[in-house]
Amino acid sequence: MEVSDIKKLATLARLRFSEEEMEQFLKEMDEIVAFADTINNSVEGSTDQIRGVGSYDITYEELRPDEVRESLPNEKILSNVEGDKGCFVVKRCVK
Amino acid sequence: MSDVLSVLSKQLHNREITSVELTKKYIRKIEETNPGINALVHTDFEKALAMAAEADRRLDAEGADAPFLCGIPFALKDNICSDGDLTTCCSKILEGFRPYYDATVYSKLKEQGAVLVGKANMDEFAMGSTSESSCYGAPKNPRDPEYVTGGSSGGSAAAVAAGMVPYALGSDTGGSIRQPASYCGVVGLKPTYGSVSRYGLIAYGSSLDQIGPLTTSVRDAAAIFDVIRGVDDRDNTSVDHEFGNVTDSLGTTSLKGLRIGVAEELFDGISPAVDAAIRAALDFYQAEGAEIVKLSIPALKVALPVYYIIACAEASSNLGRYDGIRYGYRADDYANIDDMIYKTRSEGFGKEVKKRIMLGTYVLSSGYYDAYYKKACIIRETINEEFAKVFADQADVLLAPVAPSVAPKLGESGKASSIEMYVSDLCTVPINIAGLPAISLPCGKDASGLPVGMQIIGPKFSEGKILDIAWQYEQKAGNPFAVEGGVSV
Repeated sequence: MEVSDIKKLATLARLRFSEEEMEQFLKEMDEIVAFADTINNSVEGSTDQIRGVGSYDITYEELRPDEVRESLPNEKILSNVEGDKGCFVVKRCVK
Repeated sequence: MSDVLSVLSKQLHNREITSVELTKKYIRKIEETNPGINALVHTDFEKALAMAAEADRRLDAEGADAPFLCGIPFALKDNICSDGDLTTCCSKILEGFRPYYDATVYSKLKEQGAVLVGKANMDEFAMGSTSESSCYGAPKNPRDPEYVTGGSSGGSAAAVAAGMVPYALGSDTGGSIRQPASYCGVVGLKPTYGSVSRYGLIAYGSSLDQIGPLTTSVRDAAAIFDVIRGVDDRDNTSVDHEFGNVTDSLGTTSLKGLRIGVAEELFDGISPAVDAAIRAALDFYQAEGAEIVKLSIPALKVALPVYYIIACAEASSNLGRYDGIRYGYRADDYANIDDMIYKTRSEGFGKEVKKRIMLGTYVLSSGYYDAYYKKACIIRETINEEFAKVFADQADVLLAPVAPSVAPKLGESGKASSIEMYVSDLCTVPINIAGLPAISLPCGKDASGLPVGMQIIGPKFSEGKILDIAWQYEQKAGNPFAVEGGVSV
């Protein structure tokens, strides 16, 4: 893994790192990815030998009727941050 | 030995004590003990006493018909929502967050008249096995404060072990109830995936997370499970399973002829002290007429990377919602919305959380999805099948260590590499991958007196059976950390 890979991942994850953090991350990510790679070295050497026959898709059998229910009141939803006229407020960014 | 909840419930129902008196007694214990242990991170004693007063009115009015948990205090892990109470996942990014609704498990406890005294410390977003990544500092192990509590439900386990609350709820994504229970010498139940609603549990790995109780006895764990389980239309992964009354069924499972499986893969690298305690527990069951079956579950050799790939992938998606707009921490100085989101997330998340988000982003990204995430999901199916086959053909339950060693000293995890830390989850993560139930209970001490725990693992929805098998051990072999129930005021 290269620093450019870490930068790309950080962008996808909406995170920023200093150059120093980036170097440290590079080392750790290499180690963790090597660990993740061990799934490709299964018990007998290949994942194919222990591959499952089932589907890996999660199926949801329990569905509830698609009915409109009472929702949370607007003022409660806005209670954790600054709100105005039923909207979340952030600093003006467009001039 | 007595079961704390049974005794307290009886005292309350007989009106020998009031809930307000009982709650004040626990508050005094918290004020005295918590500054040294750091098990609870948010408390609201005024609200707790109001809940206790309400419970007293109900106990007076309903008498013997009042619910079992009416008037008894408890704590929730800091990732379980309760309306209007601070719930922060021990992360700076949820600084000051007060949810606007109750988790289903909390609603069920409130219906019983239970009294919430506070929120328990944990690893940030439940990512860790020592609780040291909490933004409030690590909780300390009440058995010896130089040692960690384990994690991620370390505060819940410590609060129960220190007697600050008679029970607490935690969550278990890869061992987060069972391992701290083991390190602190208490009982922890990780229910079957789907047994207990996850509505209101702040998500880490949604296909792995499960809420469960931490208590001082097996019967108490059964009693809490009987209250919190059940299908919930706000969690479509919850299942409508007919368990019957698990607590009343304790003592009905025969140990004679019971096949207890010992999977060699779950004993890999365990310390001599843990090995000795587990062997002694196996000897106990054998003497009671159980058959010990040595067996192998080969796919468990890759369970750890499978777990970390799936958990981190789900975490990277679940934690995408923290943008600073609707709740929690928001960076002060930003040029535009994107800048605000980047700064908020970079300043708000701790190191371990960022690491897991990055790994999750990597395994889900184009070009790597098939090689990691998809493959991990396929192997997960293999692990499920191998467990199912073992339970169908070879063993009724499995018995295994909870962790390879006793609790490490505080600060030691900082010296270890990420992988060295992840390896310590070897005995617990396969159970989450397969969605199985498992109970952790004390079965010994090491030379310095630190607790050793064992886990009993069963097929899906066999909570009644594993609780009973654990209960019979506790009744006959004893609990080295047993406490006497009841209070005098």
